[in-house]
Amino acid sequence: MERLLKNTGLFLLPLVVMMFLADWFFSHHLRKSREDEFSVWNDIYDGKVNSDVVIYGSSRAMVHLDPKIIKDSLKLDAYNLGINGHNFWLQYYRHKELMEHNRKPAFIIHSVDVFTLAKRKDLFHMEQFLPYMLYNRDLEKWIDSYEGYSNYDFNIPLVRYYGQYKTIGSILKEAVTGTNIADSGRYLGFSAQHKQWNDDLVKAKQKFPDFNAQLDSETVRLFDRYLKECIDNGIYIVLVYTPEYKEGQDFVKNRSEVMNTFQAFSAKYNIPFLDYSDDPISYNKAYFYNASHLNGEGAEVFTSKLISDIKNNERIAHMVYSAAGNNVHQASLESESNFVASH
Amino acid sequence: MLFNSIDFAIFLPIVFFIYWFVTNHNLKLQNAILLLASYIFYGWWDWRFLSLLIFSTFIDYFIGIQLEKQNDKLKRKLLLSVSIVSNLGLLAFFKYYNFFLDNFVQAFTFMGGEISPRSLNVILPVGISFYTFQTLSYAIDIYRRKLEPTHDFIAFATFVTFFPQLVAGPIERATNLLPQFFKKRQLDYSAAVDGLRQVLWGLFKKIVIADNSAQFANQIFNNSGDYSGSTLLLGAFFFAIQIYGDFSGYSDIAIGTARLFGFSLMRNFAFPYFSRDIAEFWRRWHISLSTWFRDYLYIPLGGSKGGTWMKVRNTFIIFLVSGFWHGANWTFIIWGALNAIYFLPLLLSNKNRTNLDIVAEGKVFPSVKEFSQILATFLLTLIAWIFFRAASVADAFTILGSIFSSSLFTVPEIPIRALLVLTLITVFMIIEWMGRENQYALENVSITFSRPVRWAVYYSIVLMIFIFAGQGQTFIYFQF
Repeated sequence: MERLLKNTGLFLLPLVVMMFLADWFFSHHLRKSREDEFSVWNDIYDGKVNSDVVIYGSSRAMVHLDPKIIKDSLKLDAYNLGINGHNFWLQYYRHKELMEHNRKPAFIIHSVDVFTLAKRKDLFHMEQFLPYMLYNRDLEKWIDSYEGYSNYDFNIPLVRYYGQYKTIGSILKEAVTGTNIADSGRYLGFSAQHKQWNDDLVKAKQKFPDFNAQLDSETVRLFDRYLKECIDNGIYIVLVYTPEYKEGQDFVKNRSEVMNTFQAFSAKYNIPFLDYSDDPISYNKAYFYNASHLNGEGAEVFTSKLISDIKNNERIAHMVYSAAGNNVHQASLESESNFVASH
Repeated sequence: MLFNSIDFAIFLPIVFFIYWFVTNHNLKLQNAILLLASYIFYGWWDWRFLSLLIFSTFIDYFIGIQLEKQNDKLKRKLLLSVSIVSNLGLLAFFKYYNFFLDNFVQAFTFMGGEISPRSLNVILPVGISFYTFQTLSYAIDIYRRKLEPTHDFIAFATFVTFFPQLVAGPIERATNLLPQFFKKRQLDYSAAVDGLRQVLWGLFKKIVIADNSAQFANQIFNNSGDYSGSTLLLGAFFFAIQIYGDFSGYSDIAIGTARLFGFSLMRNFAFPYFSRDIAEFWRRWHISLSTWFRDYLYIPLGGSKGGTWMKVRNTFIIFLVSGFWHGANWTFIIWGALNAIYFLPLLLSNKNRTNLDIVAEGKVFPSVKEFSQILATFLLTLIAWIFFRAASVADAFTILGSIFSSSLFTVPEIPIRALLVLTLITVFMIIEWMGRENQYALENVSITFSRPVRWAVYYSIVLMIFIFAGQGQTFIYFQF
């Protein structure tokens, strides 16, 4: 018995040590990664977003709104925080983390769509949370309602990397070759999609001929809370329904119900709601690669149009510049006090 | 609780520690600990179904004692019938109710009648097909006076619920397992290490081989209309590997775990894909079920006595029942019938017991003849697996139609990752081939290699499990 325990202990000891070392090694590398969602999360946690204008939303936000155009046109720092495949539940978590690790944004362009207030069950692209998870109670609480990670993943080193051969492969490749982990080409969070039109819409209509978007009551309450929090914090918001290809707009049967919900929020908090469903862009197939997503050219045209609309809308333009002015003023006060403190 | 879960990785050492260190080697206490652990293990899935397990245990415990007391033939038969009806009744209700109802309604409608079916949303309790067969064998063996009943309820209940083999076998005979609950157990170092090694190998088979193969098998079978004949054949190959890795992996973990507690379970798989004919395949595949049917169905039906017609009839019966045991679907019944048809030529030519030895024993490579026989047998099982895996009989025929078409000669449409999985399968099959003369592929590692090499092998397996773990799948046989 003693021999068994001794040898089992000897066998397991290096494995336990390796669990801690490998966890640190993998997480450390991913914390420097510029690959897809890692790049955005890393910028948030490293306090590198610090922008006056931020864009929230799902993949539609991520591929529709180019922060570079916004920056050039409004002369304000901008960052796109769109999170691929996720509804408001995780968009809010991103907002929360942004507020904790970065300067408060002055103006939020929130891209909403028929799925914003729904809640998916699975944790899409779950690997994006890997380097930030260990002993992170807040994240654990936030993604607990999804099918994905168990509490072991948050509490035992390395367990969450189990079976993540792609992620581990790219980390090891970097370690061996000394090259940077794949840069997904997201610039300030934006990801231009230079793709041709595909048959996603046809497939989706075949698969779900009577699709209805489900509004998740908890998510709706959270959205309400978020709008209120932003207003209380002096952050201006504009809700934007970015272009959606006209033929795809009948896919979700209860679309009008969802739109009414956003209209109601807009009215309740006196927030502008810009709906581009009937904009000429929504009728031009050449700007899309599927019914919900603009291609690179479409994104460029749309971002310019949105900025032009913002500039031409006296109320919104006033919101943007006064908020940005306050932020600049606040930032200079902070740097002054830092200067004083350091001397 | 799943063997391939962290829950089990925590549960097992705790039970092991209490079993060996807290009980002070007291047999009754050890059995009680095992019983409690087994109920926790089963209840982890759904505690409500523990009642069925306890019901089945009580029925056969008391029937066993009554059978011993009773000498009247008719009363003994009646007692046995109560056991059979109770156990098979549970099985029939939970597993076959909707199947019989649907088929009855279809037949009634076909004859012009009208009926409103009232199908039930019945959840199949995990392991019910296994533990009911195990308790049945106990009652039947006492009835046949091959076994003395036990009066120790705890020991009997532990025999029925013994957690390593509770939910997916091996289906143990009371004659083998029950006496072990009354023998003093000592923790034997080499047996425990061997048990751990077998557990590790079982985990590798399940997590790396079966779960990765499952990903492609599921993708191809669930979208069979979109694929060419060559891809569908590859899908059937992935499924053949998945079901072997999954089920034999489970058996390895079960046998290895039982060894940690001083128990010896029967072998369930003996490298079936290296069989030279279908008879040999069935002597090597799911041995505990095949021998159960042999002892409790084939032989009572007359076995091979009574001429050719009887042999053929009885063979068909056990294959059809075996198919039906797997599930309430015509696909399983056709799978059984197909295997019976494969078996028929061997039976009629009295060649069903020609390949009793280990293929190419003592050699590195098989002869060309042996290799051709192995390949032919594997292809036959592959065709049968298509019925086993397909969602319906019609689907299975459509898949076979595509396979036996010109598209069989096209390049399969598979992602790059499938090539990685095929490489892993190749490595796995080579290891299995090299270890085919043992109880399981890695058994000989302790004799062949020095400790540093051995540990390097174990660490490599752990690493492969960690990196290449497939998407967590439950064990296939949990649904049967």
